[in-house]
Amino acid sequence: MKHHFRAAVPVCFPLVFVGLLVAVSFAGPALAADTSTTPKASFSSIQIQPMDANDIVIPPEFRVAVYENVISQIRKTGKFQHVYRGGDKDAAAAPDLVTLHMTAQSFKKGSQKKREVTTVSGSSSIVLKVHITDHAGQTLVDRDVEGKVRFFGENLRVTYDFSKKVAAIVRDTM
Amino acid sequence: MTSIQQTIENSSAAVSSFRVPRRGVGARFLFLIAMGAALTFSSVVVQGQTTDATQPPQRLVQTDVKLVIGGDTIKNNSRVTLTVMGSSLYIAFGKTAKQVDCSSILDISTNEDSRQDITGAAKLATMAIPYGGGRVLSLFSHSVDVLTLEYTDANGGYHGAVFVLDKGQAAPIKKQLVAMGAKASAPLEEAAPANK
Repeated sequence: MKHHFRAAVPVCFPLVFVGLLVAVSFAGPALAADTSTTPKASFSSIQIQPMDANDIVIPPEFRVAVYENVISQIRKTGKFQHVYRGGDKDAAAAPDLVTLHMTAQSFKKGSQKKREVTTVSGSSSIVLKVHITDHAGQTLVDRDVEGKVRFFGENLRVTYDFSKKVAAIVRDTM
Repeated sequence: MTSIQQTIENSSAAVSSFRVPRRGVGARFLFLIAMGAALTFSSVVVQGQTTDATQPPQRLVQTDVKLVIGGDTIKNNSRVTLTVMGSSLYIAFGKTAKQVDCSSILDISTNEDSRQDITGAAKLATMAIPYGGGRVLSLFSHSVDVLTLEYTDANGGYHGAVFVLDKGQAAPIKKQLVAMGAKASAPLEEAAPANK
């Protein structure tokens, strides 16, 4: 009997530990949600303006990929009924429209080959200032967001990383 | 005897009278062929001159182009067919096709880049190669052309699309689109020596 108990301890301990981890991971966000008291503003539509390169040399494929990825990721958040593109005439009629502007701060193209061969060099990065304003021009979000590819993936993947972060900001703010 | 001779003469006359028209038919036949060929070639030259002088070729098709992003209804990273026809660019994938008017294109740019030879699931498999063998395989890559389009839709909304083509295939598409009225901030590569 004693022998069986001793044998069961090493098996049970990891199970209990994993169970505790799962419980904490579920309880964590719930606690965090309780502590955050800032009310989220809700808007039905957003217009995303094309990126302002701000005299920084960014290849056109990166500019376009940033824009299209941001459109795609913000649609996926499900926060807005309408996601308008820059220049869309229908956006003028939207009652509670917010506008997202992106201004380039820095860009480093990097090299996929270097990244994957050396691991420590060749990383790609793009930093853009994300500025979201409401219909009255009041600033809702104003922060620098960085997209990175450190190890694996094509250089254009920085635009995907960046857009995921922008979508997370939009999800948290609105 | 005379009757026999007459018969022979008549027969020879008949033979000679038969031979003369045969030669005439052959000459006419040859003459007709020569004239037909001359007319055929002259018409081709005339047509070629008119098309070269007035407008560029009407249709350009590029298959097996990777649409990296910006296809709207077409999934990203699909292999599409680009067709420049009339005054539009058609992006086709299976039964889905997207039309972009050349007049709505704000900018076209071409760029060179490189893509690794081993991608996707095979890339994951290379990670399992011991002693850094997978890293060595990362050194194998090939050059590609990147074609970027910026255009507006019917509502004035800004769109962009990025395509990856085999090396040397992006410039003809850009040239054709510019000829059809699309705008390009960077000049065509072929246009540079002509300006000098």
